[in-house]
Amino acid sequence: MKLSRKFIIILGIVLLLIYPLIETKDFRIFLTNRALLHAILVSGLVFLTGFAGQISLGQAGFYAIGAYGTALLTTRLGLPIPVGIIGGTLLSLVAGLILSVPSFTLKAFFLSLVTISFGQVVWIIIINAIPLTGGPGGLFGIPQFHIGDYFFGNKAYYYVFLAILCISILLMYRIKHSYIGRSMFAINDDEIAAESCGISSKKAKVFAFGFSSSLAGLAGALYAHFAGFLSPEPFAFGESANFVAMAVIGGLKHMSGGIIGGVTLTFLPELLKFKGWETYYLLVTSLIAILFVVLLPEGLGPNLSKLLDKIFGSRKDMTQTLHHIRKGSNR
Amino acid sequence: MNLSDVVQNFASGMSIGCTYGLIGLGVVFLWQSIERINFANISSAMLSAYLFYTFYSNLKLGFVFSFVFSIALLALYGLALRYLIYEPINRRGGARMEFIVATLMMCTLWLTLIIVIYGGLPKPFPPVFGSSVDLVEIWGIRLPKFYFYIFAVVILLMAFLQFLLGKTLVGKFFRATAQNATAAQLMGININFSRSLAFMLSTTIVGIAGILLAPVYFVSLDLGGGSIGVKGFASAVMGGLIDPYGTLLGGLVLGMLENFSTLFISSTYRDVISFCTLVTAILIKPSGIFNWAGDKDK
Repeated sequence: MKLSRKFIIILGIVLLLIYPLIETKDFRIFLTNRALLHAILVSGLVFLTGFAGQISLGQAGFYAIGAYGTALLTTRLGLPIPVGIIGGTLLSLVAGLILSVPSFTLKAFFLSLVTISFGQVVWIIIINAIPLTGGPGGLFGIPQFHIGDYFFGNKAYYYVFLAILCISILLMYRIKHSYIGRSMFAINDDEIAAESCGISSKKAKVFAFGFSSSLAGLAGALYAHFAGFLSPEPFAFGESANFVAMAVIGGLKHMSGGIIGGVTLTFLPELLKFKGWETYYLLVTSLIAILFVVLLPEGLGPNLSKLLDKIFGSRKDMTQTLHHIRKGSNR
Repeated sequence: MNLSDVVQNFASGMSIGCTYGLIGLGVVFLWQSIERINFANISSAMLSAYLFYTFYSNLKLGFVFSFVFSIALLALYGLALRYLIYEPINRRGGARMEFIVATLMMCTLWLTLIIVIYGGLPKPFPPVFGSSVDLVEIWGIRLPKFYFYIFAVVILLMAFLQFLLGKTLVGKFFRATAQNATAAQLMGININFSRSLAFMLSTTIVGIAGILLAPVYFVSLDLGGGSIGVKGFASAVMGGLIDPYGTLLGGLVLGMLENFSTLFISSTYRDVISFCTLVTAILIKPSGIFNWAGDKDK
């Protein structure tokens, strides 16, 4: 049984690698690229919300800061693209660090209001500061990735985004199993108890906000170069709500939550665009999202991995047994 | 800049602020009862405005019937919210986050549903409160007529709520459940009923606010959009999510701030000012600036 699980994993990796080569429609690769960007961002959100227990409904604000940061750095100052991306990510990181300060004292609902306000203020600034951001008209002429004279197409971007997603997931995995990750889980379970064991909740919260905001900024910066122009719509409040929905539908406590949620909710509206029913696809998308949340509150990720365990036999590793013990003791 | 400008802004800030306070009350009632925040709170306002428009302009039922029917439907919607969203999530072990996401998605759902049924363009609000150019002149200062209707309705509603929650047995049950659900249950109070009442009160009050706001914003998607909703949250936060009168006062303060900032600074960043008010209110005193009801036992 173990062999077949390995076989499936290898098959999955090979499929991921050759997918752009066998896909004929360019639009689908474009959509996949957006899904990968969403997966990067939502993984950060899963880290923040699921692991550290802090709510953020202003993720689109970080996304916007990353995107407009790199766009302005490369178009107005003429800096090279990698510098622009790093600059955008750093700007977003700084914003995240500032936003982590209110989280020291505020609990769930108040924190969500503060983050909503942050996202909305960023959005209003984008709309109204026309000399800087181009306002509703958009910002054009953002340079594409290129090596020498070769300009990246959708397929090349696919590999870049996939690599970055893998790196961020690997990073997340390593952090989750380090002392930082464990302290985050402890704070999420019981902040007072964790504090009394000598864990600094402030440090963990600053780290979580910093990590998730820099991932969101990175995704935004990549999006700016990938799309080539920026308009305010992808940074509205609805998108922040969408990102949180992706995280919850994917599974807040699961490593794969960000990927599964991001990919599912990016493709779902496109799958529902039947001929003649175009007016209804957004309606059905939100309805399906509600059904997912109501019927599977723990998310798709854990349920999928349970399903895989049922098919291929379960992995009896240390973390899972620990999880069972904890579950048992809670009841 | 003369006296009449100031009085006009004062009156419009007061009347709009009252409706923000009502929207905040919707948040407060739900928080007191189940400690959850309904992010689709403001959708009730949009729904009631559209329902009222349908009943009044399309079906021609007259003011009283349209009003009663749309509010009754909203009460039903509150019950549906409880039994289709809140209870199933709770039963499957979901927590606050899941409820937040479900209600956020509800918000999108209602917006898209309204776009599908009525189209995205704003509808003219039926002139039940007089049209917006209908002015009343007091001491040489002209004020739109519907401001007075808003004041009248808000005062009536507050009197009704004061009577319902303060004087009747149902209100006593409701307040006891809000203070301590377990103890209330031990005293033989049906907390199930109190919860349903909380859901219904929260949707209907916001619905009334929606009908009152319609002459200002028209029957449009703006009523279900985030910016008014955040103002409702802001006034609820100023009341500490507990104190109804503090919430109303918070709404008034917010309406004033907004109007006078438009007068003195600029209208471009009007929403920024309300967001900043919200954040400062949270950061200065998370337990509520205008909260005289005291902290609830956690």
